[in-house]
Amino acid sequence: MATMNELYQGIIIEHDRSPRNFRTLDAPTHSGEGRNPLCGDEMSLQLVVDAEGIITDVGFQGRGCAVSKASSSMMTVAIKGKTVAEATELFEQFHALLTGKDADRSALGKLVAFEGLGAYPMRVKCATMGWHVLKESLDHK
Amino acid sequence: VGVLTFAMEGAHPHDIASILDGEGICIRAGHHCAQPLHARLGVQSSARASFGPYTTEAEVRALAAAVLRVREIFG
Repeated sequence: MATMNELYQGIIIEHDRSPRNFRTLDAPTHSGEGRNPLCGDEMSLQLVVDAEGIITDVGFQGRGCAVSKASSSMMTVAIKGKTVAEATELFEQFHALLTGKDADRSALGKLVAFEGLGAYPMRVKCATMGWHVLKESLDHK
Repeated sequence: VGVLTFAMEGAHPHDIASILDGEGICIRAGHHCAQPLHARLGVQSSARASFGPYTTEAEVRALAAAVLRVREIFG
């Protein structure tokens, strides 16, 4: 189990400093917003889903802690090119990882960097914020 | 009053709190049930350390060292 300070190294800090897909899309097919009033974090997500149900483009904007920003950034990288069903399944696996359940580690790839957060329930919300917005975007269009 | 509320450029209060937690120091982070004040001050959230009669100088120095550690992490 990684300690909290080990989490603040490597890939999480790197994605916090240089978030991927941190932009607004011109013609999204799906979008959603999330906020956590306890910490003041805000996040908006936009997606382009094609006729085959493949997420062809994704962008996010917002402000939040390093964990939420890095997690959202890594989520956009992970879901781009996947089908909606695959992205939804990936969220299930990510959630399982953070809540100490059996997770498909090979499917999660780099997302396993967040595993140590499981010991900090208060911070699990930070790491799943982007994913909850994703789910809501896909559900409500 | 023995409270010190602070913010750090480039470091979110919840990240500060988690890193300090890793160093054995508990602080509060977020709105502290004072959302209107944060809106008035134009800050998203803040970090807050509390001191009591039982707090030792060594503990205050440990806080200062841990805050520098946050600075190292976030550059």
